[in-house]
Amino acid sequence: MKAPYSWIKELVDISISPEELADRLSLCGAEADAKPFLEGNFENVVIGLVVELEPIEDSDHLRKAIVDDGSEKFQVVCGAPNVSKGQKIILAKIGAELKGGFKIKQAKLRGVESFGMICSETELGISDDHSGIMVLDENAPLGENPIEYLKLIDTILHLDLTPNRPDLLSLIGVARDVSCLFDKKIIRPQYEVKESSDAADKFIKVSIDDADACPRYAARVIKNIKIGPSPWWIKRKLLLSGVRPISNIVDITNLVMLEMGHPLHAFDYDLLGSKEIVVRRALDKEKFTTLDNKEHELTPDVLLITNGVKAVAAAGVMGGLNSEVKATTSTVLLEAAYFNPVTVRRSKNIIGINSESSHRFERGADPNIVCQVLDRAASLMAEYAGGEILSGIVDCYPNKIEPAKLTLRPERVNALMGTNISKERMIKILEGIEFGVKDKGALEVMVPTFTADVTREVDLIEEIIRIEGFDSVPDSIHNSGPLFTPRHADDNFYDSSRNIMTSLGFDEMYSPGMADAKLLSKVSGDNPQLKVLNPIADDLTVMQNNLFYSLLKAVSHNISHRNVNLQLFDMGRIYLPGNPPYEEEKIGLTITGKVDDHWYNKGRTFDFYDLKGAIDAFLRLSHISPIDYVATRHFSLDESCSFELQLNNNIIGYAGLIKSKIAKHFDIKQNVFAAMLDFKLLLENIQQEATFKSLPRFPAAPRDLAVIVDESVEVGSLMDEIKQSGGPLLEKVELFDLFTGKQVGDGKKSMAFSMIYRSAEKSLESDEVSKVHKKIADNLNKKFKAQIREA
Amino acid sequence: MPDIKDIGILLAEAESAISVANSPDDLEAISIKYLGRKGQITAVLRSLKEVPIDQRKELGAATNKARVKLENELKEAAEKFGKGEKIANFDPTLPGVSHRIGAIHPITKVLKQVNQSFERMGFEIAKGPEIESDYYNFEGLNFPPDHPARDMQDTFYVEGDMLLRTHTSPVQVRTLKNSKPPVKIIAPGKNFRNEAISSRAYYTFYQIEGFLVDEGVSMADLKGVLNAFCRDFFGEGLKLRYRPSFFPFTEPSAEVDITCFLCGSKGCRLCKHTGWLEILGCGMIDPNVLENAGYDSEKYTGFAFGMGIERVTMLKYMIDDIRLFYNNDIRFIRQFI
Repeated sequence: MKAPYSWIKELVDISISPEELADRLSLCGAEADAKPFLEGNFENVVIGLVVELEPIEDSDHLRKAIVDDGSEKFQVVCGAPNVSKGQKIILAKIGAELKGGFKIKQAKLRGVESFGMICSETELGISDDHSGIMVLDENAPLGENPIEYLKLIDTILHLDLTPNRPDLLSLIGVARDVSCLFDKKIIRPQYEVKESSDAADKFIKVSIDDADACPRYAARVIKNIKIGPSPWWIKRKLLLSGVRPISNIVDITNLVMLEMGHPLHAFDYDLLGSKEIVVRRALDKEKFTTLDNKEHELTPDVLLITNGVKAVAAAGVMGGLNSEVKATTSTVLLEAAYFNPVTVRRSKNIIGINSESSHRFERGADPNIVCQVLDRAASLMAEYAGGEILSGIVDCYPNKIEPAKLTLRPERVNALMGTNISKERMIKILEGIEFGVKDKGALEVMVPTFTADVTREVDLIEEIIRIEGFDSVPDSIHNSGPLFTPRHADDNFYDSSRNIMTSLGFDEMYSPGMADAKLLSKVSGDNPQLKVLNPIADDLTVMQNNLFYSLLKAVSHNISHRNVNLQLFDMGRIYLPGNPPYEEEKIGLTITGKVDDHWYNKGRTFDFYDLKGAIDAFLRLSHISPIDYVATRHFSLDESCSFELQLNNNIIGYAGLIKSKIAKHFDIKQNVFAAMLDFKLLLENIQQEATFKSLPRFPAAPRDLAVIVDESVEVGSLMDEIKQSGGPLLEKVELFDLFTGKQVGDGKKSMAFSMIYRSAEKSLESDEVSKVHKKIADNLNKKFKAQIREA
Repeated sequence: MPDIKDIGILLAEAESAISVANSPDDLEAISIKYLGRKGQITAVLRSLKEVPIDQRKELGAATNKARVKLENELKEAAEKFGKGEKIANFDPTLPGVSHRIGAIHPITKVLKQVNQSFERMGFEIAKGPEIESDYYNFEGLNFPPDHPARDMQDTFYVEGDMLLRTHTSPVQVRTLKNSKPPVKIIAPGKNFRNEAISSRAYYTFYQIEGFLVDEGVSMADLKGVLNAFCRDFFGEGLKLRYRPSFFPFTEPSAEVDITCFLCGSKGCRLCKHTGWLEILGCGMIDPNVLENAGYDSEKYTGFAFGMGIERVTMLKYMIDDIRLFYNNDIRFIRQFI
């Protein structure tokens, strides 16, 4: 909504600056920004007279004009079709700086020198109309500043309105708040309706099929009008408000809508083709062409204005091409109606047009203002289009909508706001915004029908506080709620997970959540995908069903920016279809590239054990038991390195090497190791903190054991056997060396374990230790054909 | 036969060894080599009895002097090691053994700070699903069907008659339904809106929702809490401005601006020359929302607020493109270690 400052001033006598007014309005519920209507340097822009005009050789549209500004003559080349000798025009002389920093310089066109420019509305920034130059009236004074002459030096208040404030979609509405803020009366425009003896109801009958959708339809008939341009004062108001002037009749309907907030529509009466208006719902697939010459196929959700047979307007949205006011129109049917907000909203959605009219109706117009707007518009049409207003308003209003009556308890206002506003002040505010108030202890408030959104006591409280201002609310806590609130385990786990992952060297990434359906299926195969029904882009049509996707996206992005060594984690969600669709929280990890060379350690390529070590450390620090890595087949993971992560017989996730052909879809050529863990399952498996164990009282007996086995033998199974054979005396076993090579023989590997033996009851004798140690060696030899290496 | 010159050579040798010693172990080795039981200086002292008597006294004195000198120098050098002083060939400017430290995403960083601020005021963290029903996202929050307020939030719909939540406010309805007053919650989380992607807008974003419902909760309590938070988060000395606004789930509603911390409210590019930065929306919970959740809105009142995390993160770190949060470029993320 654009509210010209000069127009507000016509309606309320205020003296503050537009900028201050904008600030004040912003603090009472209408976010306002004050901007000058025109930007530019108009010092060298003057009113001029075209004294000579002649064509230029070799040009079909350029002409040479001599313009007199009253003291000097200028030769100007002009290409506008509407320029003619004797016109008063706007001349931008050399040095003028027009809209967008457009500087006027001396120029030569087709060999003809030009010392300025004759301006259209576009160059001046008045509108985007550049169909021709602006022509001023005969009385325009030569040499004067045309912007001043046209009263276009103004500031526009750009109001960013919330949907609850349809009352501010008019200048009178804005003036109402302003008048209340500054305690001034509104000066309403005066008008008089002079009716002829002919009665309007002889020309038109109105019937409403659906009174819920259209509670009121009123019309006036104006005869013998002459279509022509509007007077400058109307055009000016429209231009300042950002509405393009068209013709007197159309301009007047727009002017009255801007002024009073209620949309009007003018039909060419003769084109209606009948003497009746029937308001009804559209038939299924009924066709209708709006006045922008677009045909629409309708559904019964659309409400139509018809002539009894065919549609002439989509109610509250837009008029029809078939009954549009034209240059030949002589009789006008002027409509002012009240349509149900939901009906208009649905109609507008089906037709796909957001008009000034639908914008107002869907937010809630005032059903009880229609006669005033008809009178105001008719009187202007009589005055500026020579029309004859037929007597009477044809008004179909079966069930009058009465102003709501609400009770407001002043103490409730202060209790809810924490304020100390007096009852008198509340009355003053409510009356200031034209609510009726009766003081009966509590206040009985009559809510005018121009405020669609005030239906409860709390809405009245809002009206009071927005005028009184939130500065009146103290900054003090009286009720801070519960004294204690818990912190939940999952929040702690979220925080600790992030801390652990970063301390393990992983950078945190955030997956956005949506995915390219095709690319996603390359990663997760036939895993079902949750479709977005109204996607924002062709490559974001589904939700990610897998964190490998987002990890690969991030790896890919980074590699393409030459960040090739990466350790990333993502505490993201995956989304899956179902009834209803659902989501799961996951932790994704990825490692790719290499550890950089460092003077102290040589660099090396990351491998699976880096990922495994990180997962194991993460679990350990999270107080989760060690997990088993069980080889499995997984769509995303390479068969050679693909594991199910098992914890207490639950699968808590997967880890391994991403298949190279999947990585290739993301333009990744290096190995990417990745894991996806289930947040909830991990959380359920966090162990209680262990209780204290006494420190050992007896000494440890360390021993080493080196064995040679076939390469196919897994360390894990050897470890299991060692632990089992070692029994209670074996406190700890660790693999400290692993190698293959000539000295161990082809197809063999050598492993060295360090063991700690200890008894809780006594110091172990060397013999006792040797006995257990030998048993372990024997069992390894028996089960794994392990050859024991002598130290 | 040892000569007095040999003592000088031995001493010089030992001193030179001390000067290049790299560790206490090196010093120990030097001490053993020269002063130990089989050390070279010890050997000289032991062989004194074989030296002709006329030379014995002089040689003895010189050797003893050398022994004492060496002992002192070893002691001194050992002390230097103890203090971590540079001895020789030791370059403390060499980088230490590297430990890769991961970076926390800036949104996490800010969320954590915001959470902690409210947790210190006694708010409990709650969460909810991102795939939501129309009821929790809209209707339960007093967005009637076919109301223009729905245009304020462009919604993504998914299969199964569900949507992606457009704000964290559904957690309000869910929590209120499952709790008894007093309820004091913050709900951080991810949301989605179907808005064209640009440097100022992305299709997903984080928000933190907060609310308190109890008997006698007023707008003054809301101001108290938000003012305390803003001072804690943005720093002391800033001013707040509450502007009336509209959200279907609060009545009255307000938007909160803080004085621009970049220019001190003089007007700059960051605050678009207004001196103010809009940072959150808030209000008194609409009675319809309370009634929908089964509360007597005459008895219980409450306040609620919501703040966009990306927006405050961008303000705090002067980030100029919202898309950086979701590209996951480590050159960006690693700035927030």
